[in-house]
Amino acid sequence: MEKELENLITNLKEELKKCTKEADILNVKSKYVGKKSRITEILSSLKNMSIEDKRKYGSLINNTKNDMELIIDNAIEKLESKTNIVFDDTIEFDVSTGSLHPVTIVAKEVTDCLKKMGFTVVSGPEMETEYYNFEALNVPKDHPARDMQDTYYLDNGMLLRTQTSDNQIRGMENYGAPLRICAPGRTFRNEDLDANHENTFFQIEGMVIDENISIENLMYVMQELLKEIFKTDLKVRLRPGFFPFTEPSYEMDMSCVICGGKGCPTCKNGGWIELIGCGMVHPNVLRAGGVDPKKYTGFAFGIGLTRLAMMKYKINDIRVLNSGDIRYLKNFDIK
Amino acid sequence: MLISCNKLKSYIKNSQEIDWLNIWNTFTIRTAEVEDVKKVGDQIDNIVVAQIKECKKHPDSDHLHVLKVDCGEKELIQVVCGAPNVRIGLKTAYIKVGGHIDGVEIKSRPLRGILSNGMCCSGKELGISDNHDGIIELPEDAPVGMDIKEYLPINDIIVEIDNKSLTNRPDLWGHYGIAREIAAITDHELLSLEVSEIKNDKKNLQITIKDSQLCYRYTGLKVDNLKNNKTPLDMQIFLYYVGMRSISLFVDLTNYLMLELGQPMHAFDSRVVKEIEVGLANDQDTYTTLDGVTRKLSKDMLMIKNGDKYFGIAGVMGGLDSEILSDTDSIFLESANFNAGSIRKTAVALGLRTEASARYEKALDPNMTDIAIKRLVYLLKCENPNLVIASNLTDIYPNRLEEGHISLHKNLLDIYMGKSLKETKVKTILEKLGFKVEVLSETYEVTVPTYRATKDIKIEQDLIEEIARIYGLENFEAKPLKLDLTILEHETIYNQEYEIKYLLASKYDMHEVNSYIWYDSEMLKKLGVHKNGVKLLGKSENNVLRDDLSFSLMNIVDFNFKNYESFKIFEIGTIIKNNSNKRVLSIILADDEKSIEDNYMKAKDIVKYIFKIFKNKNVQFSNNVNEKEYYDVNLGKVIYVDNMKIGEINVLNKLMTNKLGKKKTIVCIDIDFDKYVKLETQAKTAREVSKYPIVSLDYTIILPDKVKYDTLKDILDEFKSNLINSYYLLGTYKNKYTIRYVLGSNNKTLEQKDLQSFKERFIEHIKNNGLNIIE
Repeated sequence: MEKELENLITNLKEELKKCTKEADILNVKSKYVGKKSRITEILSSLKNMSIEDKRKYGSLINNTKNDMELIIDNAIEKLESKTNIVFDDTIEFDVSTGSLHPVTIVAKEVTDCLKKMGFTVVSGPEMETEYYNFEALNVPKDHPARDMQDTYYLDNGMLLRTQTSDNQIRGMENYGAPLRICAPGRTFRNEDLDANHENTFFQIEGMVIDENISIENLMYVMQELLKEIFKTDLKVRLRPGFFPFTEPSYEMDMSCVICGGKGCPTCKNGGWIELIGCGMVHPNVLRAGGVDPKKYTGFAFGIGLTRLAMMKYKINDIRVLNSGDIRYLKNFDIK
Repeated sequence: MLISCNKLKSYIKNSQEIDWLNIWNTFTIRTAEVEDVKKVGDQIDNIVVAQIKECKKHPDSDHLHVLKVDCGEKELIQVVCGAPNVRIGLKTAYIKVGGHIDGVEIKSRPLRGILSNGMCCSGKELGISDNHDGIIELPEDAPVGMDIKEYLPINDIIVEIDNKSLTNRPDLWGHYGIAREIAAITDHELLSLEVSEIKNDKKNLQITIKDSQLCYRYTGLKVDNLKNNKTPLDMQIFLYYVGMRSISLFVDLTNYLMLELGQPMHAFDSRVVKEIEVGLANDQDTYTTLDGVTRKLSKDMLMIKNGDKYFGIAGVMGGLDSEILSDTDSIFLESANFNAGSIRKTAVALGLRTEASARYEKALDPNMTDIAIKRLVYLLKCENPNLVIASNLTDIYPNRLEEGHISLHKNLLDIYMGKSLKETKVKTILEKLGFKVEVLSETYEVTVPTYRATKDIKIEQDLIEEIARIYGLENFEAKPLKLDLTILEHETIYNQEYEIKYLLASKYDMHEVNSYIWYDSEMLKKLGVHKNGVKLLGKSENNVLRDDLSFSLMNIVDFNFKNYESFKIFEIGTIIKNNSNKRVLSIILADDEKSIEDNYMKAKDIVKYIFKIFKNKNVQFSNNVNEKEYYDVNLGKVIYVDNMKIGEINVLNKLMTNKLGKKKTIVCIDIDFDKYVKLETQAKTAREVSKYPIVSLDYTIILPDKVKYDTLKDILDEFKSNLINSYYLLGTYKNKYTIRYVLGSNNKTLEQKDLQSFKERFIEHIKNNGLNIIE
């Protein structure tokens, strides 16, 4: 018996050697371990054997069958890896990828962070009325900001908004107080283009109105935002500023990422970049939005998203952002 | 604005206790942004006051002189000098051998054979003027041998403050105001200015204000028996350091007062002044200003008139004929206050922004006009001890500006600060800044000095700002907003925009671009397209707002063809149509001409995909009758969802395309994003899945010439059978269209006879519709 089992394995190996195709092996397989094979026959004869023989041969026969199946599987595997390599598996093609605009990427980061703090994202129109862009924001008729030199006025009596702050009024009108909104958007100022100046750029506006909102709340939100966006400990400074729609008003600067604060054209050699204008909402603005300044206080802020994108990606010429130059846009990922 | 720390020091008691180099970081976070702080005078050393004792012509030169100078040492020193103003007895600045100018060491060296030990210096070499015509001439009483830096205020720290950050602080447009602020920040005492009181025992000057809404105050004084001497050197240095040129004593003093107090002043030659009237100009009149430019006036411009002639543009610039002449011995001093908005408009209209107009447009304190004159007289007396006051201090002040009064509620202050400050702290802060404070139980009753009351401090919040900044912004703790668990999403447009952008960039490898809201004029010209939309005022180029997003991207397409054979870009942007804002998603597929079919099909696929995955909606396309001349008439498609038009697919026509690139094709998709955002996502419900296997049957149908798939589709849609799970176009080859039917039943495994009967019915249906099918 032992001898026969041994022979079966030897013969199987011999026959497998001659096989070149998977089909050949499968033939061999059915011959050696199939329903009508010798080993199946021996296996089925096991039940007629004496208890002694069963003990003696049972496991041996089973093992032999398992071994034979293993040998056949191995042969198939070997064959497969030999025959299938008919292509150059070292070839690599360029994977083409698209890109999101850097401003879109930073806007997403900022809004994501604000959403975590309970803000909702709203939007306003780029072509605005003087009322929403100026009057309701406590910018009086003879304020310099209204001058033609800064503002694009249109022949239909409207203008291109000079800031995203129109969303403050629209937000209050639409949703009332309490309120936590942010609004990314495009803004326009009549400026000559150079490496640091664009006439078309992005901001994100934020506004919180509730009872007992303080300057300290404002600071918290600003600080968390910057931490989240730059992921490092940045040098920032808060200083008094002036905007007609907030009182008190502040400007938050960050140390210039491009030169590390040493001074370069982007930061006008000062080492600081003006990034955020913010402040406590002026009572006149609350009133214009239909919110009672006796009951509510609030803060608002505007962040230069274009500026932020420049800092984040170390872009030293603002003009590329509106150029649509794919060579440049390819630098940015999809996030 | 440039600020001299030497000047500031003179207004503050114990100013030596202040760290003048570093105080400016604090100033930035307390008051206004400082852009630059630089030391001046540290580039020179070893320069002393010296006197020329001998002066001989250099034998080998026609302009050099050989001098012997006394610089306070035992022996006279020989110096060869090329300056034309050398003469015996002149006191000047002498730099010793080994001394430095601009970091360069001065050595003994022969000039045309005669040894020169050190040199005599010009104002420019000392860094205190632009004058390099000769060596500096020091007064006769200058002590020989004294270090020049001890004798003259050459060492200084010059600070540049961002003008923009002073917009709302009219009180900070002079050194004295800055000193007041520094004194408050550092807890020092501000010294009062020395002035000359003027006795009003003479005649008034003839001054009339025609429009008291535009000219708030006009103060004048006539001063006689004057000499327009040289301006003292220390004042010259100050003027130079803060960016002004020294002209003559009278002019320099008026400038000095402006730099000191922020009050612009004017000194006229008394001989030409008759009677002063402040009133509006006549439309279309012309007037030549001090700078020699003739300017056109308008009826909104406030003028200073003398007799019946214009004398100056109020608050902006004087006239050419009001200039002080060298023989003037009597001056008429003007110190006035005007409406800020009016001055700004005039300056902008004339394109003439001056130091004076920059200050006036901030709304200066009208109560300083007389102080400025008294101060000027005081300074003038130092140089002209025998001056004679020739008139009353004539002061036309129709509506006096009084101090402001604000009740600051303590609870409001607490809310803003997020904490409660001690009453004494609040009081001290406000008082340091010049406010007067009375503490009541609920409020602080605050009196606002007029120099802060013109526009800056009007309401409680303005006072809170003052308290917060002096308290120190860095001393606030950042405190999170209080917990609010209301789930809010007011609008979804932002999320919807982002999710589409992400899809297009990630799945379709497209690049997002941002472009301008106006058409590029040059591109319109290049393409020969005229656009008639909303226009920007006052611009002749790039002045038409876009009403077609894809078409407005053609300059970006044009540009990228320079570097790429094919590319895909998109933008979600605003267009202006029918006078209103519209949000549009535009996708552009730019490729070779031969791949037009691929790109066109791709455009349809993209549209279908977007609506399928984000809105679970099917899209219908219908042929577009294109009214826009630049798109291909035959290839347009209108995109419908729920029977509502929501966008278009267009192909830029051949004529236009050729102007952008040879053998190119440009396929444009525009989707009305306002409609897209409002479109509800079709609810999805689970459909039962059969447990029996499905069977696919493919049929190839031959379409006759000019018959398109949409005809076949209608025919296929008419064919009904319970077995059909779905059908779709598998592929096409020329006019052969292969359709795959997926068949199945919920009740049983399909048998051959079921399939056979389906097949027979189907073939019959096709044939009945006059089409051929390959069996």
